[in-house]
Order: sequence, then C-alpha cells, then structure tokens
Amino acid sequence: MVRFKNRYVLCEVVSEDPRCRQCIEDRALGLAVRDAIARVHGDYGLACCSISFTVKYLNAYTGTVLLRCRKDSYRLLCSALPFVRYLESRAQRYPCHLNTLHVGGTIRTCQKFLIQYNRTQLLRLLQNCTNEEERQCIQKSLLSCSLTEEQSQSGDEEEDDGTETD
Amino acid sequence: MSGAREKKRAKKMRNQPASVTLPAEPGPFAGGGSRACPTPGDVRSEQQQQKFSNQSSGPSYRKDQNFSKGQNRGERGTGRGGWQGGHQSVSEEMPKYITVSTFAQARAAEISAMLKAVSQKSSNSLVFQTLPRHMRRRAMSHNVKRLPRRLQEMARKEAEKAVHQKKEQSKTKCRKARRRHINLVAEFNHRQRKNIWLETHIWHAKRFHMVKKWGYCLGNSPTEKSYRACYRAMTKQCLLQDLSYYCCLELKGKENELLKQLARICSIDTGLTFQEASCLSGRFEGSLNLYRADRYPEDMLGPVTFIWKPRDGSENRQLWIWVHPALKQDILRELKAIFQCSEPEEICISEPVTTSIQEEKQVEVVMSLGNKRKKEDKEGEEAVPVKKIIGDGTRDPFQSYSWISQTTGITVSDRSMEILRYRLIGPLSHSILTETLKAASVQTEMADSETELNNWWVENCKDSEKVSLHQCQSAVFELLEGISSPSDMPPGTILGLTVGDPRVNLPKKKTKAMPDFEKYQDNEEVRQLYLKGVPADCAHSFIWDHDICKNVTENKISEQDLNHMRAQLLIPGSHLDLGPCESKIPILLVQQPGKMAGEDRPGWGSGWDICLPKGWGMAFWIPFIYQGVRVGGLQEALKHSEYQRTPHTPNDFPDCRAGMQFAKELETSLLEKFKRRPPAKRANYVKLGTLSPFICPWGQLTKNWEERMKASGGFLCPSSPHPDCCTTEGQTICDPKAEVVREASPENGEAEQTMEITSSEGALKTEDVTSTQDFGERDETKTSDFIVLRSEKLLMQLSAWCYPTAGKDRRIRLISRLGQKEMTEDVFLPILMSYPRALVWVNLSLLRKGNPELHAMICIPTEDDLLHLSKDKLFCGPQEPKHRDIFKDKVQKQKEEKKKKKKKDNMKSLESDPAGIPDEEATEDHEDLILGLWSDALPDVTSHCSRTVLGYVTRGDFSLAVGCGEALGFVSLTGLIYMLHNQPADKKGLVLLRTPASLQYRFARLNIEV
Repeated sequence: MVRFKNRYVLCEVVSEDPRCRQCIEDRALGLAVRDAIARVHGDYGLACCSISFTVKYLNAYTGTVLLRCRKDSYRLLCSALPFVRYLESRAQRYPCHLNTLHVGGTIRTCQKFLIQYNRTQLLRLLQNCTNEEERQCIQKSLLSCSLTEEQSQSGDEEEDDGTETD
Repeated sequence: MSGAREKKRAKKMRNQPASVTLPAEPGPFAGGGSRACPTPGDVRSEQQQQKFSNQSSGPSYRKDQNFSKGQNRGERGTGRGGWQGGHQSVSEEMPKYITVSTFAQARAAEISAMLKAVSQKSSNSLVFQTLPRHMRRRAMSHNVKRLPRRLQEMARKEAEKAVHQKKEQSKTKCRKARRRHINLVAEFNHRQRKNIWLETHIWHAKRFHMVKKWGYCLGNSPTEKSYRACYRAMTKQCLLQDLSYYCCLELKGKENELLKQLARICSIDTGLTFQEASCLSGRFEGSLNLYRADRYPEDMLGPVTFIWKPRDGSENRQLWIWVHPALKQDILRELKAIFQCSEPEEICISEPVTTSIQEEKQVEVVMSLGNKRKKEDKEGEEAVPVKKIIGDGTRDPFQSYSWISQTTGITVSDRSMEILRYRLIGPLSHSILTETLKAASVQTEMADSETELNNWWVENCKDSEKVSLHQCQSAVFELLEGISSPSDMPPGTILGLTVGDPRVNLPKKKTKAMPDFEKYQDNEEVRQLYLKGVPADCAHSFIWDHDICKNVTENKISEQDLNHMRAQLLIPGSHLDLGPCESKIPILLVQQPGKMAGEDRPGWGSGWDICLPKGWGMAFWIPFIYQGVRVGGLQEALKHSEYQRTPHTPNDFPDCRAGMQFAKELETSLLEKFKRRPPAKRANYVKLGTLSPFICPWGQLTKNWEERMKASGGFLCPSSPHPDCCTTEGQTICDPKAEVVREASPENGEAEQTMEITSSEGALKTEDVTSTQDFGERDETKTSDFIVLRSEKLLMQLSAWCYPTAGKDRRIRLISRLGQKEMTEDVFLPILMSYPRALVWVNLSLLRKGNPELHAMICIPTEDDLLHLSKDKLFCGPQEPKHRDIFKDKVQKQKEEKKKKKKKDNMKSLESDPAGIPDEEATEDHEDLILGLWSDALPDVTSHCSRTVLGYVTRGDFSLAVGCGEALGFVSLTGLIYMLHNQPADKKGLVLLRTPASLQYRFARLNIEV
C-alpha cells in the first residue's frame, strides 16, 4: 500500500481589478500557472510539475485556490507561483498575483489551515472596525460560520437519509 | 460498475467543498455571453451550490453577486490595508464605497464549508481506524464510549448504519431463552419438518458430516479421520450404525393369504421367497429381491429383508418387511396393489387421537413422564407444552399409514420410525451386547398402581410359560459372549429379548468391552449353541405388540429424573437400583450374516441388528458408545457392502427406480463438478475415448451387445433362434437397416411396432427405441430396457465358467462340485436367448497396479494382450490410442456464433428489432455443447475404443480387506459369455479395466460370487 505523495499549495489570488474574479476558474488558473512554470523552469520543469497537477479547489469570492502537484516537484511549482502575472479567460485579461498561504501534505491540512486563516482574517477585521455597523456585520458573519457548522451537520444527516433510501 | 464507482466516489466527496466560481454575468465581461466556469457537471457540485445558496439565504452570494457588478473588491483594500500593496488603480468600476459585510460573509461561508469537510472523515475507514494505534482499544468496536469523546458522535452514527445494513436478526430472544428446554424442543421440531431427524441426530450432528437424503438427516461420515479405523472396527472390533431410517412395512393377515400374494412379487429363482420354511417360522431373517407382481425378471422393485413373527397359535401372522427409504414408496404401492388394500384403516387414525388426548392430560397431571408422539395428537398440542417428536414427524396426522383390504382382511401398515434399528458389525459385537444389555428381571408386583409402567411385564410374568421362555432367552443371550464371532451363528438368526434399562448399568468411563473366552472354553451349552443355533421359540419378542411398544415408549423414565435419582444415592457413583421401577424394554436381535458368497474372508462384516421401540434411541446408543464401539455413517455402510462385495442400495440396483434416480443425481452432480473446473484443466473425455464418464449407459450397452451377437454369425447362429423366445427376438433384433429406417422415421416406426406388439415385453422395447433416439437425454426412460440377472442357478453356472483352469484343475473340481456343465454352445445358447439384454453383477480384483474408479470401463482383452501378459509378468496393460476430438470444431463454432449473437443482440437492442427470434432458437439447440464431452447420441459403446467394452464399474476403490484395487460392477451377460467362450482355458475371466480419465488399461480378474 504505497501511495503517491502530493503537495497541496494553498494560495490566494490578489488582484486590484474586481473583474478579475471572473477569471478565477479551473482552466484559466491552471493555464496561467503552467505558463508561469514553463517560463521559469522550461519544458523540464513544466513536465515535472504537470504530473498530477490540478486545481483542487477555488473560491472566486475569497480568491482562495488549492493546487496539487507531486511532492517531488512542489518546489518548482512554488518557485514559479510568484511569476503568475495575470489571469486570462474569455479573451479578457486581468493582472493579478498569487500569494502562497500554505503548503500541505493533504487537502485536509490545507482546509484546516484555511479555516484558521479565515478566522484570523475575520478577527482582524473585527478589531480594525471603524464603525458600529461594520462591527455588527462582522460579528454576525462570524457567528454564522460557527452556527452553520452545526446546521450543516444536521443538514448532512438529512441528506444521508435521503441518499440511503435511494 | 462504473456507475457504482461513481456513486461511491460521489458519496465520498459529498462533504468536500466544491470550487466556487462566479456565476455567469451579463454585461461587458461576458464575451460570448457564456456562463461562468461550468461546473464539472456532476450532481454533487450542483447540490453543493444549491446548498450554498440555501445556507446563506440571507446575506448570500447572490447578494454578493449583485454587489459585484457595481462594487469592486476594494473592500479588501480597506479591510486589510497593506494587502494590495498600493497597487490600487482607480477606474470606473472601482466602487465608491466598500462593504465589510460581503467580505466577511464570503470568508464565513468558506469557513463553514471547510469546517464541514474537515469534521467529516473522508476515508472509507471506520472511525476508530483513524485513531493512531496506541490509542485504539479492543472494546471500541462495539462500545462507543471507549472512543475519544470527539469521535463518539461519528462512531455512533456509523454503528447505527452498520446495524442497519446487517441482516434482520431472527433471534428475537436472548440465548438463555432460546436454550430453554421448551423453546429448544420447539425449534428442533420446527427444523425437522422437511427432513426427519433420527433419535440420535443431535449426537450425530456434533460428530458427523450430515447429509439430507431420502427425507432424513443422516450422518455421512465422521468428521474425524477414521477411514481406516472404521475398517479395523469392522474387522476386529465393532462398528455401530444407526439404521433407523430403514422403513418397516408391516403386513398382518392370514398366512396363506399373505403367502399367496407375496409369491407374486418375488421369485424362487433369486434365492429365498417369503415362503422359506426357516423364515416362515420366525426363526431367521430372510432377504430377497422384490419385483413387480408377476413381472419377474423385469421391473425390479428393490432388495428387502423380512421377518415373520413367530407363530403364536392364532391364524393371523405378522410380517415385517424392512426396506430402504428410497425404495419405500414403490414397494408400498405395489404391496397395496397386490393386497388390494386401498382404503385407509379408520381405526388406526381415530383411535390414537382420542386415546392420546386422554393420556396427554393424564400425563400432565402425573409428572409428564417420558415423551409422546406429537403427530397423532394435534388437538392436544395446543393445551400441553411442546413435545419432542418421536417417530415420523413429517407425516401428516390425518394421512393414513395403515391400509386394510376388505376382502381378505389383510392390513398393510407403514411403521417407519416406529421401530429403531441399530447395526453392530464386527466380532466384538457379542461382548458389547452382553455388556450393555442385561435381561430384565422377573417382576410380579406392580411398582406403582397408578402408572402404566411395566404393567404388561407384570402380567406376562404371571404366566409361568412366558417366564420360562424369558429365562431361556436370557440364558441364550448370556451364552452369546462365548461365541467368538457373530458369523458363527446361522445367518439371520433372530433372538427376542426383554432387557432392563441400559442406562442403569452405564460404566463410569468409556471402556472397551473385551470377550472372555476362557470362561466359556469348555462350556457344553456354548457348544450346543454353536451346533443348533438359537432355539426356535427364543425368537419371540414383545416388540411385535404395538400396545406394549407404545407403553414402553411412553413410560420411559426421562434422563433428568434418572440423573436426579443418581444424585440422591447414598454412595455417589454406586449402582443405581431402580427396583420395580426399572423399565423393561422388548428388543429383537437379528444376526447379520456378513460375507457369504465367495471363498475368501467368509463371514467378514457379520454382526447383529437391534430393533428397539422408538423413544429409546439415545438410551441404548450411549451405553453402546461407552462400551467402545466406533460409529460409522453412510460412507462406512457403503464401504462395508463394498468389502462384502454385495450390491448396496440404491447405488447398485440400476434396474429399479431408486437406482436410476440415484444414477441421474450422480450424473448431474458429477457434471456440475466437471463444469466448475476451468476448461483448460478439464479432462477431454472425447479424446480419451470415454463416451459417458458420468453415467453408465446400461441400456445402450446391452442393446449394442445384442446387435453384435446378431451380427457375428461365427459366434452364434441367428438363423435358428430359440423357439420360446423367437417372438420377442424377431421384433427387437432386426437387421441394422430396419433399425436405421425406424430411427429415421420415429413416429412411423413406433406406430408399426406398437401395432405388432402385444406382449408386455414388446412395449418395453418400443420405449427402448425411442430412448435411443434421444440418447442425449438418457434419463428419459421410465422403465429400464435391461434386466439384472439374479437367478441363482445361472449365476452359479457363470461363476463356475469364470474360473481359470490353471491351478491344479481347480475349475474342473469346482464344476464337478457344483454339478455344473462344461461351457458348450448348447448350454449357453438358451441362456442368451432367454436373456438377450441382461447384466451380471461381477467383482473384479486387479492383478497388479491400478485403482479402479467409479464408471471405469470393463473391457475384453485382445489375444495380443493376453500373450503379452503371459510373456512379460510385469506387463501393466495396453494403452488406448488417443482419439480425435470431433466436437472441437463444433464447440468453437458455437462459441463464435454465441459471440456473433451477442453482438447481434446488442445491435438488436439498439434497433429494437423483433425479427431475430428464430436465429436465437437455432443457436439454442446446441447450447449444451461442452468441450470434452460426447455431445451427440452415443455411437456403439462397445466398439468405440480399441478394446471391446463389456460393462462398467459402479464402485471401485483400493480394498483394505484384500490389499489391492477392487471393483464392483455390471457386465453384459451376452458379452461375458462371448468373452469366456473365446478365451483360452487358463486365462478365463481376465478382463481389462480403464478409468474414465485415463488411457491406461489394467488387467483384472473377473469373479462372480454367489
């Protein structure tokens, strides 16, 4: 029972242009990263990295992206990530850059990290609040994220039953 | 497959968050007006998205999306000052204001999605498997509380799921409740609805491989390794078998009436009849073969043994016919037919019902002593607790088992499971009997006036005549120990006896009963017993009386009470003296003669049978076991008959229905076994020249030999058929052309024949013709088209002919001793004429190497073979040249056709074209072509191989008794005479044996033992 070991790179798309969020999608991002690797490391680097390279998860609203590659070549990938300058999709090109947040061995660790990271973000946001309205807003969403956890679980159970009866 | 895998994957990924992209947006960005990144298209992500939208119903992404048109993500900039690194370029799309709320909501939604993913385990493993090993505990698998608290919730869910998936548990009660006696008995009764259990079933089921056969659950062979040990027990010690599954049919009526009808179903030719004087007196047990009334030698019903009740002054006689359960239905029907016993006897049904209800209540009041027949008292069953079934549990209570004839007053009743029968085989059976059983003491006073216990015995003891008879019986029984082997008694000796409860003198430990011959060395009485046998009047037993049997069964002291009484003994372990309360059980001892035919090992496998009233099975069984007997099952019985060289029921009776049924079942099971092998590893029987490896084609064999006899004019002259059988001969043995014509037009031929034929024999032949046509389904024939020769005179003659003359003129001596004629044409021609299609039971012992197997072929050696053998003493035997598989092409073609058909079917299913049905049918005709099996109608089985086939082996194995391979089987009578006629005098009876899966022939000597 030997498995292929992977590395998951959690990064954040940072762009000034809000329309860039349009471009945050599997294909566009994958192409951009590949392009960057090819530019930086050449064909060899590209080939190394593209073994099992995929975009595992992305969230256009938060700009979070989870990339996967083989453990052997994740350094090549990580070193190429800063060279991503833009995202291109549907003949639109928007400048942006990628900010590496975390490199993990499993998706799970990345997810855990993401939770923690987002929490700190929200807390920081809460601290830096300027007016009461904002504060309440953030508090509400903070509560909602902890609340939704339970809700999701209960919802999950219902779903379980539904699938089992199928 | 892929669907299932996808489903599984979907289930696994259900909790994983899907990528979230912006939905399609109208406006300047959407170049082609296309949607935003189309989700991978599986249900999961759609669900996920829906959920997302559902969850955040209030401040949802949709809102966010609304913002996103006008607002930009400068919010982030304001949210976290330095993040954008001052790259903010002002443009039209930049919002004038920012909302923290959308930013926070987006993060919050992501957190919740991730939380969900993290909190659910993603792998397929169980919860406690996710724990590191050092934290695992054994009890975790069933006790949730053993897990860390954070995992308990998940584990609980998992456990529920596992329970849900498991089968519905039938055990509603706890084990203690299930094992409670009442429930246990109810359960046992329930379980033996289909297949009856013998009384020793539980004992057997713990130690034997059980098989369901003939409506019974029987022990096949012991689970321990005991093949050789059982043989040794048979030869030197004692082997015990439970033969209670044998059925007892009882006939009651006037002697001459009974004999008159019974004479119709057996023949003096085969040996005994029911009329045999020694048997008729009740002194000896007889065995014979039954035939349909007036149909001898055809329409065999099966072998039976019978016991007459000794004459007791009255005109009415009682006869027990013991039959194998496989033959019971046929024989019972025939008996009913010949005695015209059509109507069921009313008294027999109604009487037990009424009485038993009364008794049931009575017993309930007293102490519910003993067990009862449950079947007869269905009405009483509701009131009383469940009773163990004793006797035939499957019998419908209202189905009659006794029939009476109005004209003659003869009653035929089915007493199966009413009388138990145990068989002891081996020389030690005497000492075991005498050690186990003690003759009952004479008792003149009732133990307890209220119970019926022993009241019959007390009454009998008042009669001095009966007392003296009992004393005589017990004296003879005591003397048995002095006789070294059961075979020293006259065959079939019957000894009636009344014994005390064998449980009382149970030894404390398992011992080995050894005879003490010195005690009887010069005993005059023993010598008398040797010479005269058991006196005639000693055969009387009370077991013949139904009422006494019933009384004995009902008044058995239960094991529990007995143990209770034992526990109350003053000196623990001392002999328990029940005094007048001790039950008296009438039994019947029947000597089994063992090997009688042949010259070697006379009397091998002799023993005693014990008949007991039902209900007493275990009470006698355990004491026997404690005396050191070994117990055998069906396999041991088979071996016993094999070493005795006697035909075993129903394996070796191919001419009776049970035998045919058996052969058919054997064929299907062997074929199944054959098909289970991978095709490349199967023996190709076509190449080996074996036509039918799984069944013996007896009909085909005899028919082919008949044709051969006709064809070869040198051997016999067909022009002058014997006068008394020319009518039948003329019809059946036509020239081959006519046969061909008939086969070509079966309907016409059959019609012609049926017109011609008036005799019953002819009708048989018609069936034969039809059967040979579709010989692919050989089992279609209802009645057999051949007979098995059982006429003692003829067998004696054949047996004498089989002996070679080599050793000191032994054959001449034998022939002169038996008063037989030399083998000349005028002697055997009439035999051949009267039995054109007969089989002879033979035994074969291999000269040198070789282990014969089931369905091995018995072949005639050529002259070269014999010459080779006489020259080279180490010559093992010739080899069969390899045959060509003529069916290989066909099988391959069929395979291809199947493939094509499959393709076509696929096409058809696409096109949904209904026109392809005839094609399918055409291919289905050859559906059962199997590589390596002869798939056509069998050709001439005798001349298919290089050596002419004479017959087949029905049982063969290495014989521990003789020390070489031995086989039993049937050969064609015609073929046998042909072979003997052509063989040189010193090589008579030499045949070749070839197992189905081999090309090697082995020499064997053929013997007929009478």
